[in-house]
Amino acid sequence: MIKTQDIINHIRSLVPGDRKVRIMNVCGSHEHTIAFSGMRSLMPEHIELIPGPGCPVCVCPESDIIHAITLSRRADVILVTYGDMLRVPSKDGSIRAQGRNYKMITSPSEAIRIATANPEKKIVFFSIGFETTTAPTAAILETGVPDNLYILSSHRLTPTIMEVLVKDAEIGIDGFIAPGHVSAIVGSNAWNVFSEIYGIPTVVAGFAADNLMLGIAEILGQLKNGKIRTGNVYAGVVRPEGNIQAQNIMAKFFEVADVNWRGIGYIPESGLELRDEYSARDARKVFGLKEIKEEKIPGCICGKVILGKAYPTDCKLFKRACTPKSPAGPCMVSMEGSCNIWYKTN
Amino acid sequence: MCVGVPMQLVEINYPSGVAEAKGVTRSIGLQLIAEDSLKIGDHVIVHVGFAIEKVDKQRADEIWEALEEVLRMMDEEDSSA
Repeated sequence: MIKTQDIINHIRSLVPGDRKVRIMNVCGSHEHTIAFSGMRSLMPEHIELIPGPGCPVCVCPESDIIHAITLSRRADVILVTYGDMLRVPSKDGSIRAQGRNYKMITSPSEAIRIATANPEKKIVFFSIGFETTTAPTAAILETGVPDNLYILSSHRLTPTIMEVLVKDAEIGIDGFIAPGHVSAIVGSNAWNVFSEIYGIPTVVAGFAADNLMLGIAEILGQLKNGKIRTGNVYAGVVRPEGNIQAQNIMAKFFEVADVNWRGIGYIPESGLELRDEYSARDARKVFGLKEIKEEKIPGCICGKVILGKAYPTDCKLFKRACTPKSPAGPCMVSMEGSCNIWYKTN
Repeated sequence: MCVGVPMQLVEINYPSGVAEAKGVTRSIGLQLIAEDSLKIGDHVIVHVGFAIEKVDKQRADEIWEALEEVLRMMDEEDSSA
């Protein structure tokens, strides 16, 4: 076992003395480990660890939240979704505050159980998240769901948003720590575009502090020797090709779509919607849901925080008008949101 | 939502199964992993009730160690807040 101090010493030996190195993580759990372990304070002065778009709750469009609230107020509907989504604010309030018939679930399987137990109701599963939650939703569709279960898909693609980030010169990313479990599904090869096209080292890491620091060391090592490639310090969990069976099941039911990211805007081919052949299960089509114009939350810079253009502490609302108990913006709601994490550690 | 928890398979009724971790058993979906690659005793990473990947015991233990470390750090923050 490599000792933590040895990794820190190794990182120090690799730091280029003449410039800052900005390393972004794109996973709420990574940011959790970095923030709670105090890892930033252990880094040499030139290393900046930036939280990126690792919180799917934070980027879920306000329009979908309003639709979820509206659907839950119908007498013939029960809305089901993950716990974090219940508290996310919108101009019409949150699902918990303004919704009526809703239930929290921890797994798509529970949506099936609720649908089976309530055959007279229409069950709408507000299904959100990156690839780690898309695959389970696709899995229940693969097995077959009751006729009264509908999917409101707000799934997003991690590699696409990362490519948006590298094209934005304002952000200036020198290296990515790729999310461990998203990588288990999409494969470490999914990140080759960053090393091969953009020359940005991208290293898959797990969630232990030591493992994350190994990832940081590998990024710095690549920058130093100029041999840029996709790295993987989470071997044993992540294969180069990923989980092919999961990828196939996702591709069977979902297709890539141009979608809105809250606080960021429309990004081509960055989300997943149900394929036309499954439109009978698609809540957007069954209930005729149309896009509602997003309203900016006054003072909230969640979009900038997600893109790595600002830190939570740059926000005037942070810890004042925006707290985990009374979140003004989506980044303060979820335990994967940078503002929520920084509230507890700064 | 994105936290994956390693669990050990104690029962397989493909496409579902029962897995155990830290004394807690839970019914899980196995559709995302090929049936012929699974056997009782395997360790899998479970996200929102579905196994997304197989891992060996050593990696499962390491992930649990990391999860418990994060939980411990969160407890410390909560109690000092």
